[in-house]
Amino acid sequence: MTERRTLLGMAMFLIAEAVFFFLLILACKYFAAIPYLNSRSGWILTILLLASTASMWRGWRWGTIALGVIFLVGLWGTLSSVLTAVLGLFLFAGLIALAIVPVSALRTMALYWYFLTAVWLAIFLYVYRGGAA
Amino acid sequence: MSGFSAWLCAIDHKRIGILYMLSALLFMLAGGMEAMVLRAQLAAPNLKLIAPETYDQIFTMHGTTMIFLVAMPVLTGFGVYLTPLMIGANEMALPRLGALSFWLQFFGGVLLYISFATGAAPDAGWFSYAPLSEKAFSPGAGLDYWALALLMIAGSSIGSAINLIVTVATERAPGMTMRLVPLFAWMTLVASIMIVFALPALAASLVMLLSDRLLHARFFDPAQGGAPLLWQHYFWIFGHPEVYIVVLPAFGMISEIIPVFSRKPIFGYPFVATSTVAIAFLSYGVWVHHMFAVALGRNVLAVFAAASMLIAVPTGMKIFSWIATMWGGAIRFTTAMLFAIAFLLEFTVGGLSGVAFATVPVDWQLTDTYFVVAHIHYVLVGGTIFALLAGVHYWFPKISGRLLDEKLGRWSFWLIVLGFNAAFFVQHFLGLLGMRRRVYTYPDIPWFGALNLISTLGAGILVFGIVLFLANVAMSVYFGTVAGKDPWNAWTLEWAAASPPLLQNFAETPEVRSRRPLWDLKHPEAPDWGST
Repeated sequence: MTERRTLLGMAMFLIAEAVFFFLLILACKYFAAIPYLNSRSGWILTILLLASTASMWRGWRWGTIALGVIFLVGLWGTLSSVLTAVLGLFLFAGLIALAIVPVSALRTMALYWYFLTAVWLAIFLYVYRGGAA
Repeated sequence: MSGFSAWLCAIDHKRIGILYMLSALLFMLAGGMEAMVLRAQLAAPNLKLIAPETYDQIFTMHGTTMIFLVAMPVLTGFGVYLTPLMIGANEMALPRLGALSFWLQFFGGVLLYISFATGAAPDAGWFSYAPLSEKAFSPGAGLDYWALALLMIAGSSIGSAINLIVTVATERAPGMTMRLVPLFAWMTLVASIMIVFALPALAASLVMLLSDRLLHARFFDPAQGGAPLLWQHYFWIFGHPEVYIVVLPAFGMISEIIPVFSRKPIFGYPFVATSTVAIAFLSYGVWVHHMFAVALGRNVLAVFAAASMLIAVPTGMKIFSWIATMWGGAIRFTTAMLFAIAFLLEFTVGGLSGVAFATVPVDWQLTDTYFVVAHIHYVLVGGTIFALLAGVHYWFPKISGRLLDEKLGRWSFWLIVLGFNAAFFVQHFLGLLGMRRRVYTYPDIPWFGALNLISTLGAGILVFGIVLFLANVAMSVYFGTVAGKDPWNAWTLEWAAASPPLLQNFAETPEVRSRRPLWDLKHPEAPDWGST
């Protein structure tokens, strides 16, 4: 019962997040100059985050956290835009939560992690690789 | 834990609800004083009581306060207090999220008001259009406070909305299907879903504004590829649903109060519930009617004009349902019922002027005039606040255990009705005569002085009525007649709990078989579920 509540709550939160990122990505795509992203570092970052998501799916909490930290450091080093800064903040909050939540909440946290991975894919593939609008 | 620290650490939904209400009351006093400063400055032509810059700050703070620090939190407070009781639950689904949401809301409000102390309160209006809100045109820190405070409040609203959604979805008493949920809980649920979809648009706008102001981004700067119109679109994608977010729970209150004081079940429950969903959907397709004065092309305007008129249909259905509920009923004219009836009239005036605005040429003529000011106050005061006052009179005995004084209640009712209409009805005429909103003074044109003076006097009477109402509340908490469980002979589950409810709302889980579980309990010979 508790897990049903938290899963539903997380789902609602992610709907709100989806609206938020959708509007922000749209604005960044069309109304803000996009900083250059080296394609190779972009792919390396993507593989790192996908690996951390795979680890999350297997339920390896600390593997996810380790890969997530490496991703964040890499993101910090290669890119600076509003979009990546906001995504970085959400990922950072997610890492803290992942480190401290009880095991019973890991399934709920996994939803959050999958979602942010999807947001990164949207940002990378649509905004940075999609070319100028 | 006891006393102060018990409130500080509270996670019980009833305490969180009361904290929301008290916080809204505190900020309402601030917003009300700001309104009186504005009305004093406008009382006569060519007055110069305050500087124009100060005037801009005051109207910005008044609008922001009343919408984000009063209307939203007080409705959330009622939602958090009443929803579990109405659906037969003992607690919200996510109690600690409830506490987090409240404190985010409260400190967001405090942050907004700290801007006064820095000498630079925000001054770009409650919707802070770019490029006026950009650093180049508003160099002070006021707008940074405004954006940060609203970002906190947006987060808080999303949190409390999620909590209410999960509560209605998972905590309902056995037997209570969605077709049997009380209409206040229904409409709170729909408003909460709207918050989840709408408030992120505000948050995204604020993140972009803050980035422009503090991080040299350029979302709203046309010289560098940005677009000021982007702010208008995003803000109103949030802003129009927001109108319904603060009016749907008020509709819910009316849908509870009118049946009880008419001694009839609500007329057309399925229509009242589903028209709410229709309003929620339509409200996302009408935002451009706030931007008719922007050259967007005739087809765009036509589509949004049609959608805006369409939304009057489900709203009108509700009005007819409430009237049909009263029709032939044994009406009891308590103060709560008086406010509910006044709501029907005042809100209809606001709704009709809204339909007028949906007509594009009318909007072009009246945009940014006092007609807009009159319209928004008839919707938000005549609608939300009147329903809220009905709700306070109705549920105060549940929350405090004591009845409000009916005689004082009637006095405050008539003063509020008189003051409100005197203050705002004449503003329709001022708008038609061409008086612009947000100007700090005006020349001595025929009628301008007289109508503004009536408006200011009306505002004074309104404040007097509100003070009388607050005095009634303050006195009744201590000296009111003890109410007992169910002073109105009502039908929904909150009246089965003690007044005020104990920490555990219900000693045993109530079972529900109809929309009026207490009627069934009181009339075992003719229960609602037996007749269908």
